[in-house]
Amino acid sequence: MPAIDPTEYEIAELGPKITDVDDADELHEMLELEEAGEDRAPVKTLIEDRIEKVEAEDDGELDPETVDLTEMTVADIANMVRGVDDADVLRDVLEREREGKERKSAIAQIENRIDSVEGSEEQAGEDVEYVPPEEKYPELDHPTNDKRWVEGTVGAEYRDMWVYCETQAGELVDVSKEMLGKARDLMDQYNADYDAEERVVAVLVGADASDHVEDATAYGADLVVYMEDDRLERFRHTPYTEIVTDMSRAGGELASEGHADVDWKDYHEPRYTIFPATNNGRDLSALVQGALDSGLASDCSGLYIEEAMISNPAKVGNAGDNKEFERVLHMKRPDFSGFEYSTILCIDKPNRDFHPQGASVIPGSFEIPDPDYDREAAVVEYEMDLEEEWFEVEVTEFDRLSGGVDLTGNDVVVAVGRGIGDDPTTGIELALDLVDAFEDADLGLSRGVITSSYAFDSHVEQYVTEARQIGESGQVVEPDIYIAAGISGAIQHKVGCDEADTIIAVNTDPEADIRDFSDYVIEGDLFEVLPRLTEAVEKGELAAAVEASDD
Amino acid sequence: MTDHEHYEAVVVGCGPGGAAAAANLARNGVETLVLERGVDAGSKNVSGGLIYAEESAPYTIDGLFPEFREEATERPVTENYIHNVAGDTVKTFDIGDLHHHDTAWADSVLRRRMDSWLADRVHELTHETGGGLLTEVHVTGLLREKGEIVGVTCEELDPIAADIVVAADGVNSELARDAGLMDWEDPDEWFQGVKAVAEMDPDTIDERFDIDDDEGEAHLFSGDLFDGVRGGGFLYTNEASLSIGTVFHLDSIAEERAEPQELLDGLLTHPLMAQWLGEDYHELEYSAKLVPDSKKAALTAPHEDRLVVVGDAAGQMQAQGPIIKGMNHAVTAGALAAEAFADARSRGDPHRAGEFYEQKLHDEGVMDKLRPTSYSVVGKLGEIGPIDGVANAVAESAVGRFGVRAAEGLVERAYNSPMLVSMIPDTKLPYVTLPTVIGEELGEVVTDENHVQPPELDDRIGDLTYDVGDPHIELVDNSFEASGTAVTACPVSATDFGGGCYRDEMVQTNGHEEHLVSLDTQPCVECGTCAVVADTEWEHPAGGKGVEFEQG
Repeated sequence: MPAIDPTEYEIAELGPKITDVDDADELHEMLELEEAGEDRAPVKTLIEDRIEKVEAEDDGELDPETVDLTEMTVADIANMVRGVDDADVLRDVLEREREGKERKSAIAQIENRIDSVEGSEEQAGEDVEYVPPEEKYPELDHPTNDKRWVEGTVGAEYRDMWVYCETQAGELVDVSKEMLGKARDLMDQYNADYDAEERVVAVLVGADASDHVEDATAYGADLVVYMEDDRLERFRHTPYTEIVTDMSRAGGELASEGHADVDWKDYHEPRYTIFPATNNGRDLSALVQGALDSGLASDCSGLYIEEAMISNPAKVGNAGDNKEFERVLHMKRPDFSGFEYSTILCIDKPNRDFHPQGASVIPGSFEIPDPDYDREAAVVEYEMDLEEEWFEVEVTEFDRLSGGVDLTGNDVVVAVGRGIGDDPTTGIELALDLVDAFEDADLGLSRGVITSSYAFDSHVEQYVTEARQIGESGQVVEPDIYIAAGISGAIQHKVGCDEADTIIAVNTDPEADIRDFSDYVIEGDLFEVLPRLTEAVEKGELAAAVEASDD
Repeated sequence: MTDHEHYEAVVVGCGPGGAAAAANLARNGVETLVLERGVDAGSKNVSGGLIYAEESAPYTIDGLFPEFREEATERPVTENYIHNVAGDTVKTFDIGDLHHHDTAWADSVLRRRMDSWLADRVHELTHETGGGLLTEVHVTGLLREKGEIVGVTCEELDPIAADIVVAADGVNSELARDAGLMDWEDPDEWFQGVKAVAEMDPDTIDERFDIDDDEGEAHLFSGDLFDGVRGGGFLYTNEASLSIGTVFHLDSIAEERAEPQELLDGLLTHPLMAQWLGEDYHELEYSAKLVPDSKKAALTAPHEDRLVVVGDAAGQMQAQGPIIKGMNHAVTAGALAAEAFADARSRGDPHRAGEFYEQKLHDEGVMDKLRPTSYSVVGKLGEIGPIDGVANAVAESAVGRFGVRAAEGLVERAYNSPMLVSMIPDTKLPYVTLPTVIGEELGEVVTDENHVQPPELDDRIGDLTYDVGDPHIELVDNSFEASGTAVTACPVSATDFGGGCYRDEMVQTNGHEEHLVSLDTQPCVECGTCAVVADTEWEHPAGGKGVEFEQG
């Protein structure tokens, strides 16, 4: 009687079970049971297949000490040696192959196996002896050879939490404030926990860096270090990296010329660094952390400081030891769209420091704190020579992606919809005429116009952009007067203008939905009505005109 | 091998096909990642609303997911009728026998509720074997290495490699198209369904249909309700709502320039419906989807390399006259695909899963239901012009009519014969002419007055408001000749309606006038109709973006 009676199982359950059965006789018995029982064709196929496989394996059992290698393919040899753990047997096989067909790839396979068998013996249970990568792999033109600071420091002093504060368009971006607030909380707790006096250091780089010192202070910095230079107006990663790296090293073992003694910093490098995970921040964070010979946890959404018990021999020095590391920045980052979180730790090795412990932070992860403009901070204007060659990348042109047209502040918005379809260019012209007649007005458009295939003449084409769209997927406006010409008033449009004080609709169809939320409806063709409204506005008689024509 | 994230199995889409595949994979100990593009499983999914468990099927949804019927369905179908309509006259047949043939049970369902319940189970099951379900991930295509399919690419994540990729990504499957297995070329391979879910409290349903709260009804409608467009309608009772919809051959919708929402309104406002809909009609949701015609579209070899395709994505939707079954076949196919992978893996050759899957579809009789041989012999012959014409003429001639009247009992029997029904050709005869004649000759006049006022299209769209993100459909040729059909055929567009997806426009350029079509994907319900009838580059929106059905 076999261990598994196939008739008691569904095929789906049987599939995985049957792979554990290696005895062909037992499988034959199972096959008989199935034939006598339900006799399911797929089950039989499954068992037969397994029998074939098991029997093939039985036949194929090779003795590496006696087998004739010349009869075997390289793949057969590779498969065979994978199951051999005795290095002497492998050497014997190697010898025979060399005397026989002497196939290079076969020899490589056997040698690899010898390496892995012997390697594992040597390492087991012993101390991990540190060999620098350059010595361990002398044959490699090791890329780390070129990197000046690799293995630069061991056991140096690190202090403070540094926050790289990004600015955009003359403003400290929100994520910079969020990071400063978070850093403030973390370091207050840190100083209490470890009875320390470490600081939050804000780093500002740019053409107008000094303008943001006050904000950086108000949002939580104890020390603001800034570098200001006209050439730094646009972000370019070479000079920015050089500057932030230089600042980080000031006063430490690797300080650049002229920065060996500074009165605001007396340690090697920052203990922690935090960057924004913005386009520029991601770029800069990777380069600075690389230059400082550390790692980076990118795109983090959570940070906390805690001790950590580590058993990784590469970190603790001895296999099997556990060691507690203090003051470790735990950097949480979402994987798989937040399906899972990883917590990244950046920990020193016995022979190499991994500091600063660095993270980039996803904007919006933390609250923006309330600014406190009574706070005080030390301020340092950093000075260094900026080399010409750092600016080889020239910014010739840039475009600021912003809201574009802001319709929200206008007293009056004149919006047109697909009612202009008969002559779209004239429709826009007439709407612009009406806009001009008011003191503070602008042009809005319905989504229907923006997504249409209307051909506009070039002089009005510039006005037909998504930036002028009113409605759910565009702007929401609350002007004193909203004029909706040739707009039927779908719910998505209503959302964008419903809060206007007075809504005046112009439509050929007096029953169009827009009627439901308009104060005045003028029944008529916008091509006729708009010029008359323009005229009325110019004469100061809009109210009279509208009231007269409201049906 | 490039270093991609790897799972043993990746299942794309968590409808019934994907859920069945994932559950059966997990049950076999396979590490399974399920990717769903909706904010929630079911938020992208629409069906007419009946799910069957067939006695002959190797897998059923309640077999794979115990408590399915208690937790995820609306009402069991206990009564079945077909109504042949000719103007105000209607002849009703009881087609319970056809319905009960091979049916263990059939329940009405709403997909948001059903699929999101399934998704929770799927996540529990797959999590145990090292995977899980991820929502808001849009799988955009197949990952290939040296020309071989080895995984999937996503809009939100890095590519993921797998030993098996189960494409359960629905009727507009981007994976089946990437693999070259499916296209959107022929309108006659598709049906288009539109549906309204109308709110109704359970007591009112019980009273109007004269049923208990653990009973339900399924009604089908055919005849001249629909301006000669080939297709029919349905009404199913849910727990606290009715699903009312129409399903038409897409080629017929396209040819007749029919407006799908008007065809639905034609059904909603027919006097026959008054007894059920009453005075106060409140539509909860308007929805639409394409339905593959398995007779023509079902893939006979739904696999390629490591890819297997299940459910609507593989055209596995059986719509033969009054038999409309899709979800049960998706469930069976999904579970068989999983079984095929488990078999292949236990034989040490996981990449042969596709071949085994195809074999199982045949062995288990699924393929014969989807592509009945009786249809290919008789049905297609009936679609050739002249023969259909003669048959039409016979049915309308005095002799033909006499035949119908004399054969009343025969007609009811014919409707109840699965064999005869599977032979129905896709012409006007069975869908329009014959039911109309039956209605005229045998029917009784319905005198009820229908007070239903269906919502206007813009209100229907307004209730479906959502964030579509970047436009996901590109109109390649915006001339009216190439893409104008979309203006009418798209269920959220209409002639002279500016708020829909497709609008036709007369545009003056350089002195001459062009008839063009413009597209705004904002109101898109992702049905795929325009991919077939217009010249587009069609993709799904990004994960979590686009239409979100609350009922489905």
